[in-house]
Amino acid sequence: MEKTLYQIFKTFFKVGTLLLGGGYVILPLLQSELVDKKNWINDDELCEYYALSQSVPGIIAANTAIFVGYKLRRTAGAFAATLGIVMPAFISIIIVARLLEEIIKLKFIQSIFWGVGIGVLILIFLAVKEMWRKSIVDKFTCWIFFITFILSACFKAPPAALIILAIFIGIWLPFQKKIEYGDKEE
Amino acid sequence: MIYLKLFLEFFHIGLFSFGGGYATLPFLYHIADVQKWYTTKQLSDMIAVSSITPGPVGVNVATFAGFTTAGVTGAFVATASVILPSLIIIIIISKLLEQFRHNKYVQSVIYTLKPAGCGLLAAVGVDMFINNINLFGMVLLVGLFIASITEKRDPLFYLGVSALVGLIAGFFNLTG
Repeated sequence: MEKTLYQIFKTFFKVGTLLLGGGYVILPLLQSELVDKKNWINDDELCEYYALSQSVPGIIAANTAIFVGYKLRRTAGAFAATLGIVMPAFISIIIVARLLEEIIKLKFIQSIFWGVGIGVLILIFLAVKEMWRKSIVDKFTCWIFFITFILSACFKAPPAALIILAIFIGIWLPFQKKIEYGDKEE
Repeated sequence: MIYLKLFLEFFHIGLFSFGGGYATLPFLYHIADVQKWYTTKQLSDMIAVSSITPGPVGVNVATFAGFTTAGVTGAFVATASVILPSLIIIIIISKLLEQFRHNKYVQSVIYTLKPAGCGLLAAVGVDMFINNINLFGMVLLVGLFIASITEKRDPLFYLGVSALVGLIAGFFNLTG
């Protein structure tokens, strides 16, 4: 399949439309669209982009799209992929947001949202669990987790300040003696 | 100038949120506290809607918050600004991919950033829990929790079940 900018846009638009309930499903979706159907990249490359997407700031699904878009057609490809993955979200929210103020008054809609709010709590719990598995590898990272958690939950510290603090600690660490990233390899 | 403020707020979300779409939530709560563009109640409705509409949740909720703050233009500014840092950073990283991965400072920063992102999200989870939960909600939550540990399920499963239970609970006035 030809890798025109329009093709890239179209592919990610399709993936963006199918993405419901959080970015977790992007990997299987991209596998079927990019690896199996279009043969644009291979499984190894996709997994590498997905892993890298979690190490840079931003929304993981969008990050993965940008990596793949760049790989296919450089900067223009990155823009085409971004536009594709963002557009379905943008359009659907613009439509729904206009209606929300009206429908939110309906009692059964409020009940549904109440329920979905509880469902989101579970999704957040699962996201924390998954992030914990990948990030808390030793005592030091465990300390970072709890300090960030307490400063944010109890003292309402601005999130960006805590992230910058973590970045500084990260830069400062290699100046200390040799550190191990995790007690042992997983 | 509301659009400039929106740009700055959402650009900084895109730049500092680590750990995916839900990692943007701590920042959006912070905005609700500081800027007062929307209330935390409105934000939890936006999150509920964003979870069940197509697209990455992080993008949905940014679009939504932008729309609530300043209409369609606001939505556009917020969405573009939240994506822009990723676009810039990834284009640069892709150009330097090989050197980047084995640099000890980069590795060390990733090592400290991930638990911080995780801690921020956990704080949001606790906050949402305290603000939204009632007795029946607790029952639903425990049910979903048990479902989540017995088997790996699609996110839509939890959202579908909880929407349905919410709808039924509404008839019996259990959601208040």
